[in-house]
Amino acid sequence: MSAPAPVDEARPEERHAERPAPAAILRVGLQRYAILIVFAIMVAVFGVDLPGTFLSVGNLSNILGSQAVLFILVMAVLLPTVVGDFVDLSLGSSLGLSSMTLAVLNVQHGTPVLLACLAGIGAAMVVGLVNVFFVVFFDSDPFIVTLGTMTVVQGVIYIVSGSNSVGIVSTGLSNWIFTNEFLSIPLEFYYGLAIFLVVWYVLSFTPTGQRALVIGQSREVARLSGIRVNRQRAFAYIIGAAIAGVAGIAYAGTNGTVDPTAGSSLILPAYAAVFLGATAIKPGRINPLGALIAVYFLAAGTAGLELLGAQTYFQQIFYGVALVASITIPKVTRDRFLKRKRSA
Amino acid sequence: MSSPDSETPGSSDKRIGLQEPPASGEQAAPPAVEVRGISKDFGSNRALDQVDLHIGHGEVLGLLGQNGSGKSTLVKVLAGVYDPEPGGRLFVGGEEVALPLVPGQASQIGLSFVYQNLALAPGLSVLENLTLGQRIGGGLSSWKAINWMAERRRAAVVLDRYDVKLDLDRRTGELAPVDQARLAIVRAAEDLRRYRTRSGYKHSVLVLDEPTVFLPEEEVDRLFDLIRTVVAEGAAVLFISHDLAAVRAITDRVVVLRDGRVVGEEVTADIREEELVSLIVGAPTRAGQSAPDGGAPVEDQQAVALTLAAMQSAGGADAVAAGENVAVEHLTDEWLRDLSFEIGAGEILGVAGLIGSGAEELPYLLFGARPAGSGALRLGAETMDVGGLSPQRCVRERIALVPADRAVQGLSQSLTLWENIVMLVEDEHYRGGIFHRGELVDLAREAIDRFLIRPPRARNAMSTFSGGNQQKALLAKWLLARPRLLLLHEPTQGVDVGARRDIYRFVKSAAALHHMAVLWVTTEFGELAEVCDRVIVITQGRHTATLDGEELTEEAISAAALRQTREDR
Repeated sequence: MSAPAPVDEARPEERHAERPAPAAILRVGLQRYAILIVFAIMVAVFGVDLPGTFLSVGNLSNILGSQAVLFILVMAVLLPTVVGDFVDLSLGSSLGLSSMTLAVLNVQHGTPVLLACLAGIGAAMVVGLVNVFFVVFFDSDPFIVTLGTMTVVQGVIYIVSGSNSVGIVSTGLSNWIFTNEFLSIPLEFYYGLAIFLVVWYVLSFTPTGQRALVIGQSREVARLSGIRVNRQRAFAYIIGAAIAGVAGIAYAGTNGTVDPTAGSSLILPAYAAVFLGATAIKPGRINPLGALIAVYFLAAGTAGLELLGAQTYFQQIFYGVALVASITIPKVTRDRFLKRKRSA
Repeated sequence: MSSPDSETPGSSDKRIGLQEPPASGEQAAPPAVEVRGISKDFGSNRALDQVDLHIGHGEVLGLLGQNGSGKSTLVKVLAGVYDPEPGGRLFVGGEEVALPLVPGQASQIGLSFVYQNLALAPGLSVLENLTLGQRIGGGLSSWKAINWMAERRRAAVVLDRYDVKLDLDRRTGELAPVDQARLAIVRAAEDLRRYRTRSGYKHSVLVLDEPTVFLPEEEVDRLFDLIRTVVAEGAAVLFISHDLAAVRAITDRVVVLRDGRVVGEEVTADIREEELVSLIVGAPTRAGQSAPDGGAPVEDQQAVALTLAAMQSAGGADAVAAGENVAVEHLTDEWLRDLSFEIGAGEILGVAGLIGSGAEELPYLLFGARPAGSGALRLGAETMDVGGLSPQRCVRERIALVPADRAVQGLSQSLTLWENIVMLVEDEHYRGGIFHRGELVDLAREAIDRFLIRPPRARNAMSTFSGGNQQKALLAKWLLARPRLLLLHEPTQGVDVGARRDIYRFVKSAAALHHMAVLWVTTEFGELAEVCDRVIVITQGRHTATLDGEELTEEAISAAALRQTREDR
C-alpha cells in the first residue's frame, strides 16, 4: 500500500519544488551571464576612459573584423571539443596548411583563386581525416595524436613554403574577405557569423547536436543508447578541420602574405575562447554562443588595453588571466553551494 | 522500536557512562567507539538528528537505512569530511575526542574506512596499493628510498595473515571485484593493526561502507571470512549496507537510521527480516512475506495504470504493441556455450548465475554492446544474427538495455534529468527543422511523475539524484522508447528498498500491459524468485536448470546455481 500513496502526497510539494528558490536563480543567472556582465562593465569603463576612440565605429569595426580569423577557428575548435575530444591541437596547423596551400598555388603556380581556396580547405580536411584515422579508429589519445599531426603538418608547411612567407595572394580574395565592408565591418566577420549560425543551430537545435552533447559528456552512455559515437566524432574532426581551412583562407585574405607560422599562434587563444565560453550561457557545457561572446570579450578587452597604451603582449596576459579566472570563479561559488546542499 | 533492548549493551551507556562494561560478560571496557548526540544540518535539511551509537570491541555493528537516511553522512562525520553541529561528542576507546575531526585525523585515533569505490588505484600493482598508506606521511620520510624487496616480504606476510592470496605484481584493476574489495579491507585492517601496536590502545574500528554492492552472493562469503579474520585480530567493524542478507549474516547487532534518527537498535539474531524492513522503510509491513512480495493486486493495478500512462504519453498508436515472442538460439561466445531459451510475450524471464558463469554477459551480448560469437535472436518474425548486432541496430529494433553500471553506462551524470529521460525519443520531436524542446521537457516531467522520481526537478543534474532515483530515471528512459525486449542487468543494485519495489512494479506492469518480453539478470536470487515468471540458471556458460511455479524460490535458485558449479569441478 505504501507506494502509490506518496504520489498524491508529494504532488503539491513537487510543484513547489520545481520552482527554484530566488537565491538559486540569482546564482545560476550570475554564473550564466557573468561574462556578459563583466563585458558590459569593461565596455563602460573603456568607453568612459576613451570616449572618442573606444566607442568609435572604427574601433568597433576593428574589433569585429580583426578577430574574424580567430572567430572562425574557434568554431572549428568547438566541434571536436563538444564530442569530448578535448584537444585537437592540429587545427592551428590545419589553418596554416590551408592558407599556405592557397598562397603557394595562387602565387607560385598561378592557380585560380577559387580553386586554390578549395585546395586549401581540402588540405585541411586531409589532416582531419588523418586524425580520425588514429583517434577514432585506433582509439588513440587525441592529445598525443594531434600533437603529432600538428608537428608533422607544421613541417609540411615549411617544406612547401621553403620556410618563407608567400605572397601576395590575389587582391580579389583580399577584397572579398577583408577590404570590402558591409556596415563598416569587413566581410570576413559575416562569414564567421554565418558559420557560427550553422554550428549554433546544429548543436543547440537539432537532435544531432543533443547527441553530440551526450557523446561529449558520457561516451559510454551514448554508445549504449544506440548513438553512432564514432561516426559523430569523425564528422566533428573532419568538419572542424574544414572550418579551420576556411579560417586559413580568411587569414590569407586578411594578411595578403602567408607566414609559415600562421595559425600556430592562434590555436591557444581559440581554446581559451572555447573554454571561457563554456562558463557562460550554459555553464559547464561547450557552447557556440558562449564561445562567440568569449571571443569578442577577449578582443574588446585587448583592444581597449591597447588604446590605453598597453603593449601588445598584454593581450596574452589578459587572455591567460581571463581563462583561469573564468574556470575558477564558478567553481568556488558552486563548491560552496554544493557543500551546503550535499546530504547523506 | 527506538527503546533499546535490555540485552543490548547500548542501553546502559547513557545512564552509567563509560565505566559500565558491555554486556559481553568480559572484563570492563569502554566501547571502541561511541558517538553521542551527533547532528548535522545541510541548510534547513537535518541529515542527522541526535544520533547515539556505540560499537563494542570485536563487535560487528550493522548500520542500516534507506538512501538519504543519514548513513553516509554519519560516516563522513567520523571520517572528518563533514563538521557536525556543536553538541555532539565522540569517544574513542573511552577517551573523548574533540569534534569536528580534521580530515586525516580519523586514522590517528584508530578509525579506518573502506568505501564502496575502495580507493584503489587500478593502474598500480597490488603491492603498490597495499603500501600506499605508508607513502602519505610528509617530511623527510617522503624522500627516503623505498626498499621494495623488504616491502614485498612484509606485504606477503600481511596477505598471509589475513589468508588472502593475491599476486603482488598484478595490476589491481585486473583483479576480480571481490579481490579488490578484499585488498582494500586488508589494507585498512593492517593500518588498524599498526595503529594498535604503535599506540598500545586496544580499540580500533573498521568502517565498511556498502562493501558488498558489486559482489555476487558467492563471493560475499569470502569477504565475510576476511571480515571475521579482521575481527579476530582485534578490530571492531561498522558495516553499512542495503543488503539485508549480508547484514544478517555478518553483524552481531544492527542500528537502523531513518531520516537521520536512530529508529531501532537490535541484536541481529533476535530480529526477523520483516521487522527490519519495516524499521528501515518506516511503514509497518503486513505480516509474513508481504514486504518484498509486491503482489498486492490493488497496488499493481495502480502501478500498471501509471506505467501505461507514461508510455502512452510517449508516443503514437504503436505504443501498445502486440507482444512478440523472443527466442535466443545457440548463443555461443567466450563464456556461453550453445545457450538457447525463449521468452514469451509479456513474460519476465530471470537469468541466474554466479559471477563468471556467463549470465552477466547475456544482456550485453543481446544488445550488441559486446562482440558476440554466434547465435540467433528471434524477435517476433525477425531473426537476427547475434554476432551482427550493434547498439544502434538494437535501438532501432526496440531492444532496451538497462546496464548494471548506471553511473557510467546508463546515465550521463552531467546532463540534466530531463535530457537523460528523453534521450532516445528526441528525433520524434524534431520536425521541420525545429527542435521542440518544450515537448521533451513536458514528456520528461510526466515520466518523472509517473516513475516517482524524487526530487522532481527536471533540470537538475543527474549526478544530484540518489541511486534509486537514478535507476528509475534509467528505466523511464528506456520504457519511453517502447521496447519489445527489455534487458535488465542488476536493475536494483545499490537501490533502497522503496525504490526497489517501485522498480519491480514498473517492470511487471510494463510486461503485463505491453506484452513486453523482459530478461532480468541478477545475482540477487531472492529478487528473481519474487519478480520473475520463470528463471533459467546458467552455470559455466550452460543452461543447466529451469525453475518456475512452486520451485521458484531463492533457495532453489541458489542451490541450482551452486550445486552444478561444484559438480563440474
